[in-house]
Amino acid sequence: MTSKRNEPASSPAVETHELWKTFGEGETAVHAVENVSVTIGSGEFVALCGPSGSGKTTLVNLIGGLTDPTRGQVLVDGRDVGAMSERQRAQLRLDRIGFVFQAYNLLPVLTALENAEFPLMLRGVHRDERREEVSKLFKHIGLGGLEDRRPGTLSGGQQQRVAVARAVLGAPALILADEPTANLDTQASDALLEVMEILNQERGVTFIFCTHDPRVMRRARRIIRLVDGHVERDAEKESGNLPSWVLEPVET
Amino acid sequence: MMERWLLITRIALRNLRRQLRRSSLTASAMVLGIGFLMFIRALEGGAHLMYVETATRMGTGHIAMEHPDYMGSQDLMDRIAASDLKRAHQAVEETARPEELVAAFPQVNVGGLAQSASSSIPVRISGVDPELEGDVSFFADKMVEGRYLEPGDRLEAIVGVAVAERLRLELGSRLVLMAAGAGGELESQLVLVTGLFRTGVPEVDRGVVQLPITTAREWLELEDDATSMSVILASDERTGQIAAAVRDRLEESGVGTDRIAVRPWWEAMPDLYAGLRADAVQTYVMLVILLGIVALAVVNSILMAVLNRTREFGVMRALGLNRLSVGAMVMVEGVILTLASGLAGMLLGLAVSLGLFRDGVDISWLFGGDLAFAGAIVEPVISPAILTVDVVAILSIVMAIGILATLYPAWHATRIEPAEAMKTDE
Ligand SMILES: Nc1ncnc2c1ncn2[C@@H]1O[C@H](COP(=O)(O)OP(=O)(O)OP(=O)(O)O)[C@@H](O)[C@H]1O
Ligand SMILES: [Mg+2]
Repeated sequence: MTSKRNEPASSPAVETHELWKTFGEGETAVHAVENVSVTIGSGEFVALCGPSGSGKTTLVNLIGGLTDPTRGQVLVDGRDVGAMSERQRAQLRLDRIGFVFQAYNLLPVLTALENAEFPLMLRGVHRDERREEVSKLFKHIGLGGLEDRRPGTLSGGQQQRVAVARAVLGAPALILADEPTANLDTQASDALLEVMEILNQERGVTFIFCTHDPRVMRRARRIIRLVDGHVERDAEKESGNLPSWVLEPVET
Repeated sequence: MMERWLLITRIALRNLRRQLRRSSLTASAMVLGIGFLMFIRALEGGAHLMYVETATRMGTGHIAMEHPDYMGSQDLMDRIAASDLKRAHQAVEETARPEELVAAFPQVNVGGLAQSASSSIPVRISGVDPELEGDVSFFADKMVEGRYLEPGDRLEAIVGVAVAERLRLELGSRLVLMAAGAGGELESQLVLVTGLFRTGVPEVDRGVVQLPITTAREWLELEDDATSMSVILASDERTGQIAAAVRDRLEESGVGTDRIAVRPWWEAMPDLYAGLRADAVQTYVMLVILLGIVALAVVNSILMAVLNRTREFGVMRALGLNRLSVGAMVMVEGVILTLASGLAGMLLGLAVSLGLFRDGVDISWLFGGDLAFAGAIVEPVISPAILTVDVVAILSIVMAIGILATLYPAWHATRIEPAEAMKTDE
């Protein structure tokens, strides 16, 4: 378990400079992300909140290089994502970034274990080594014994934990999670968040998650609130607290 | 790299299984199509083997040796000298294995006139050696009246049924043959009709007369020369090789290609060969068209599979699989589907050809009366034959079609934008 946190933090995990993403043109143009400049340090545990349509998903996709910005820059580990080829971006995601999405995260034809080891296989890690890492992590996050189950036979919470395991197993510097708890009940959400917190603390993995869920925000140590594509508030906080502005309605 | 391909193949295979119903629908269309064409081709192959067999036994042989100019001139001037004939025979015996060599015999072939008391017609006159050729000659099997030539015959001759009809000949009738001899003078020879043959090939039945080669040589002042030397082999497999080896051997012994041209049957009978080729090409065109239609089903099946999995491709891309690998995954899926069904189809074709119809298929209903094909005979019962070239060709076509049919869906998969894909619920 190498801790990224202990490495000299030469560059922040994520930096965006005057980032714009516009859908459509002219009258109907929507600025999903509007002039966003944020810096997220290595090892942070950040919640992106804001009303529906405020651009959370779009911002996370831009950071992960899943979509191209209209203007501006995204740096991951100090490297300019926009300047990379498709192949390099795929390699960057493989090496540095893990994704967890809201649902339908897993490949239905693969078992839980095969899903989790996906990034390790892409990197050519040997079978025995892969299996060992996966089962160790599975035990750690309460998935022990479920290795050979297909996603369809797992509960939503278990599926999301497999997805987190998959994101984590690549030993990435950064995990991007888009509403990972949206389809989970309270208990499953808490279990998932615990796993994420443990990985954040033990391995120094940076987490950025989009969420509407107050329970998730409570655990975050930094909250960035987006409204209409731009950053409205950005504040550090203690874990457990929930500042009142988080859920404020948008002034019109 | 290994692990990546393992992963790609594993996902491709599992996805094929996941859509078993759609995959197997596409697959069974292919299996039936390929099985059917394989069978058709096997029948055709069997018929072709038979044409070749009969055509070679009508005198040309699997390998025909002639003076290089004889094919064009049909002139006795362009003949093989007795000494060269001996060397040719030796070359054949030294080249073909004993079990491969059925017969090797000289012939004197010349164009001339056949004249009876009532009229005269142009005929092709063959001087044959009944001792060497009797066991393999196609004519010996096709006698409808009288008998085939025998060793010791002198003035006996056999004629086609239509020749007999036109010249009003019966068994025992006298017939005068006229042709230019070696000296260039017109020579005539009296013969007696001892047999009538009906081969089924109209040109042969109305235009061929055969007599003993010894008589023909005397009559045409050829001494021990001949116009050709024919070699009949037990199978057609090594014809080309043996012909080439005989050519080399002759060259070594000082008989160059300026004196003897050694031709495999496809060079000696270009019309027959062209006919067989055209036949095969026709079948292959049919195969490509039919498989083209099946390919549309493959395109549809794989494309649907890709569209239904847009989100999954998005997830995989987000996990760090690049475009090329995504395309490769779809290619693997399509190629496995086509290859597996292609192989199954070929097995079906084999089973039907060599199992169900092992004893032959009666195709007389296809031909009505006339059973001739480019100067060769069609027997009404054809035994299917699977040729290696066909297996290789069909397999290659199946592969090519599988790859072509999967290219578009694969390209489509590489165009999926992960951010967009993530929005779909599929
Ligand atoms: N592909 C697209 N084409 C056009 N408009 C888009 C596209 N994707 C997003 N948008 C628009 O961009 C804005 C931001 O969308 P985004 O999905 O980032 O919001 P969000 O904050 O994630 O919302 P939610 O909380 O509902 O998930 C919305 O107005 C949305 O309609
Ligand atoms: Mg969203």
